[in-house]
Amino acid sequence: MLLTLLLSFAVQGCYKEEFPGNPTVALVVKTLNNPFFNDMQDGAEEMARKLELNLIVQAAEREIDVEQQVQIVENLIQRRVDAILLAPSGSREVIPVISKANQAGIPVIILDTRVDEELLRRDQAEVAAFIGSDNYEGGVIAATYVGEVLNGSGKVAILEGIPGHETADSRQRGFLDGISKFEGVTVVTSQTANWERSLGYNVFENILQSYPDLDAVFAASDLMALGAVEAIASSGRQQGEIVVVGFDAHQEAVEAVRNGSMHATIAQNPREIGQAGVEAASKLLNGEEVSEEITIDIGLVTQE
Amino acid sequence: MKLLPENISFDQIRQFGTFIGLILLCALFTLLSPYFLTASNLMNVAQQSAIIAVISVGMTFVIITAGIDLSVGSVLAFSGVVMASVLHAGLPLPVGILTGLAVGFACGLINGLLVTYGNIPPFIATLGMMSIARGAALWYTDGRPISGFEDSFRFLAHGDIFYIPVPVLIMIVVYALAHFVLRRTKMGRYTYAIGGNEKAARLSGVNIKFYLNIIYGTAGLLSALGAVMLTARLNSAQPVAGMMYELDAIAATVIGGTSLFGGKGSVIGTLIGALIIGVLRNGLNLLGVSSFIQQIVIGAVIIGAILLDTKLKQIKNS
Amino acid sequence: MIPEVVLEMKHIRKEFPGVVALEDVDFNLKRGEVHVLLGENGAGKSTLMKIVSGAYEKDEGEIRIEEENVEITSPGHAQELGIGIIYQEFILNPHLTVAENIFLGREPVLWPGVINQKKLNRDAREILNSLNVSIDPGQLAGTLGVAMQQMVEVARALSLNAKILIMDEPTAALASKEIEALFTTIRHLKSKGVGIIYISHRLEEIFEIGDRVTVLRDGRYVGTKAVHELTRHTMIRMMVDRDLDDQIPKVKADPGEVVLKAVGVSVSNRLKEISFELRKGEVLGIAGLMGAGRTRLARTLFGAEKIEHGHVYINGEEVELKSPKDAILAGIGLVTEDRKTEGLILELSVKQNISMPGIDKFVNFGILNLKKESRVADEYIRKLNIKTPTGNQPVIYLSGGNQQKVVLSKWLCSDVRIFIFDEPTRGIDVGAKTEIYQLMNQLTARGAAIIMISSEMPEILGMSDRILVMRDGRIAGELQGGEATQEKIMNYALGEPYEATA
Repeated sequence: MLLTLLLSFAVQGCYKEEFPGNPTVALVVKTLNNPFFNDMQDGAEEMARKLELNLIVQAAEREIDVEQQVQIVENLIQRRVDAILLAPSGSREVIPVISKANQAGIPVIILDTRVDEELLRRDQAEVAAFIGSDNYEGGVIAATYVGEVLNGSGKVAILEGIPGHETADSRQRGFLDGISKFEGVTVVTSQTANWERSLGYNVFENILQSYPDLDAVFAASDLMALGAVEAIASSGRQQGEIVVVGFDAHQEAVEAVRNGSMHATIAQNPREIGQAGVEAASKLLNGEEVSEEITIDIGLVTQE
Repeated sequence: MKLLPENISFDQIRQFGTFIGLILLCALFTLLSPYFLTASNLMNVAQQSAIIAVISVGMTFVIITAGIDLSVGSVLAFSGVVMASVLHAGLPLPVGILTGLAVGFACGLINGLLVTYGNIPPFIATLGMMSIARGAALWYTDGRPISGFEDSFRFLAHGDIFYIPVPVLIMIVVYALAHFVLRRTKMGRYTYAIGGNEKAARLSGVNIKFYLNIIYGTAGLLSALGAVMLTARLNSAQPVAGMMYELDAIAATVIGGTSLFGGKGSVIGTLIGALIIGVLRNGLNLLGVSSFIQQIVIGAVIIGAILLDTKLKQIKNS
Repeated sequence: MIPEVVLEMKHIRKEFPGVVALEDVDFNLKRGEVHVLLGENGAGKSTLMKIVSGAYEKDEGEIRIEEENVEITSPGHAQELGIGIIYQEFILNPHLTVAENIFLGREPVLWPGVINQKKLNRDAREILNSLNVSIDPGQLAGTLGVAMQQMVEVARALSLNAKILIMDEPTAALASKEIEALFTTIRHLKSKGVGIIYISHRLEEIFEIGDRVTVLRDGRYVGTKAVHELTRHTMIRMMVDRDLDDQIPKVKADPGEVVLKAVGVSVSNRLKEISFELRKGEVLGIAGLMGAGRTRLARTLFGAEKIEHGHVYINGEEVELKSPKDAILAGIGLVTEDRKTEGLILELSVKQNISMPGIDKFVNFGILNLKKESRVADEYIRKLNIKTPTGNQPVIYLSGGNQQKVVLSKWLCSDVRIFIFDEPTRGIDVGAKTEIYQLMNQLTARGAAIIMISSEMPEILGMSDRILVMRDGRIAGELQGGEATQEKIMNYALGEPYEATA
């Protein structure tokens, strides 16, 4: 009985090659319960269909579970896919498995989060390309916006992503560098909310307790920003009383910007990252040159 | 009706059943995917299962005493980052590893002391430790992973001895030792006795507190060994490593036939349980099954194993 | 018109792996009678009753209740059929009140989900009054004594309109006065037409309360007779198929030097200034009523409870008994009152239980010598005539008498020299009892010393060289084996001044 159940699930969930005989590309993202990566998946699928490539999309159950992501990549190497697109859950931890892919002759294209260059060199591992947004630039754009809205003076808090995470660090660095140009603006606190909405709520609620006169908050992701918006609402403050700037242009966040509960979000284009990834893989498989670094445009989304 | 011979214990039947399950699972995947039954993939599965398998040994001991250890994943992270920092400070490899193991043992020992002298139920004591060790790991590292180790250390994850990957070798040694301890030593006997009937064990002269402390300490030590293996594998010690490993370890133990009520179980069963989980994840990956459906399947297998347990018991008792 | 025979069972068969528990067993119960079910332990009484009460399903045979064929499928079904059971171990919830326990699952409600507390207590009081017992329905069940808890169990069964009531050793935990009260209740139930199936090992009780007796032996039906046709002797013969002329085969040993000496041992209010000496080769009986502190004394001497004041000397040297382990190292072993919860680890095998306290004998550098363990365990299995297919059988599958022999083997194997027996033959059949007495004789003959706590007068009188009688945590009196009588012991136990009878 158990076996039948298992079998039916396996068959149902089993991947079927859409274009038999054509190469298979694997896209391994951090998690599939984050709209950012869902958009990336959509873009990749769209491009794969267009280029008549087979695409397998996999992710760990939890965004921070690098070990599971590594296992997935190992299994895909066993599955002998033709190329791997990887959005690393840890910029250092995935390097050994990139080596393994290299040994198996499978090209690896990194999406969204950079891997650690130094360790990559030390392990003599190779990455075919990096495709992502310039997170540092996004941070700077966010800072400039906040500085201007506050007219050059005020108190700002930061909700960080998972520390040690390349994306999180770049955004934060970009923001700090950008905000330093406004002498009247001070960053009063910077705390992590692990990319999570519920933590964003809890952490920001605490921040509001400690800094009731806060003027603005920069969250390194929209999920955390949306958490902060809810914390502001439940603290009894007026909508818009505190400037909230997020990152990712998450659908819900764009909605929030439209109705005024958030001021702005930085638009990454995950869909385009996915598209570009598959496109690059296709080029590699056809023996064409691919540039080592492909940057996808980043922009500011405000009410206008 | 007599269905089963008397000289075979229920545990042996149960273990055999789990083993058959593993074989059937492998057969199924062989049928469905040409990539499954290859030497390199089987080694791959064994390597991937090794860390959870090692942690599950400690869990099995604890569960046989009718306890539970929810802190194994966090203790893994904490001992991992401490070890990594010692290695980064330039101290020799054995010093780093021993420091990590000592931290793991100490965390486990604290669990044991809370359970025995604090009279706190194991669920609560280790739940507390789960949070404390995780917090300690994050605080110790400022939330940042410690990465980059020398090759001699990474050999522990990526090396081979006689064509067998080192992690698999570590796993085999740990299981052989644990099996011997459970079946052939006083400590093993007492582990069953404490879980079977703590009162009667005490009245038979078993020093319950001493042995429980050793057992919880060992669980912590094995978590730390898992940390050594994981750190070498990822070339990085993360403070967020090992999240939810406690659930995988409990699942492997329970699938392997160890009773959560204590007094019964075996590490061989647990090894099969850990391999079943590893094979499932690998096979479903090979088939390109989505991670959401993987979770459903793994949950179904846990429930299925326990259902099988109850059914077998009914057969045995009728 | 209610039929005369309320329950009839024919050709009942039940098999467990490796054991035929019941084979072709007949049994019937009439209205308003007390039908005693008698047999050695392991004879199949409990199994038969579990079939009646729905805990087990029979393999073969038929059951008729009030002349209708029934298949009893579950305990709930048995309840619906009017079958009530009073277990040896009580199953009351100690945190609920008496009334709540009586009506558990069937509480009268004001409206759905809300209990009518007043009616609950009123109904409970009514039932308790009909039993002539004065228990406050609002009292927590856990605060009641054993006898009163049993009354609550009876009340619960009656509230379910039981017409068949099974009592499994109801007097095992009761003192004599409480037994009298129980018998009054039983007579009262009889007069109301309730048929009672009564299981007991105490033959005296059978003559006092029973109407008919059915005897089982080794899972088979031996016969049914009216009590007045039987004598103690014939009953025992039916049970064991052999004469037991010498039920208590005491061999007197010559007491030697003092091996254990207690001086002023006290534990808060429970034990007060206990002082006595135990000599090599003697059996020191400890008598007393329930709650007199006998078990607590045993546990204290065994290190399971902390001594607050006082000293214990073993072979003249003072010892500190902080844990059972200390006591075992000092050469003391305790055969507990309740073998299932304190004496044995049920999932472990016969062998593993036997070796537990003396495990160090089989251990070199922490490693067990399994061969030696098996050999020694097999020796005890043979010597004590433990009925088990192999030493690897989990003890949970053994009958009570055989389990008790495993407990004894534990201590024999561990080389202790001072044995404390707490009710060593409780719930054990006559044949096994004799074997245990003989074992005690062998022990004393070889120079061991025994402290024996017992509630059974014949046992205390027959086996003891000396008797201490406890009352309220004190030693109320000491009697030499020769001079002791039931009357004298009772006098000390009840605390009335002893007057020599002419």
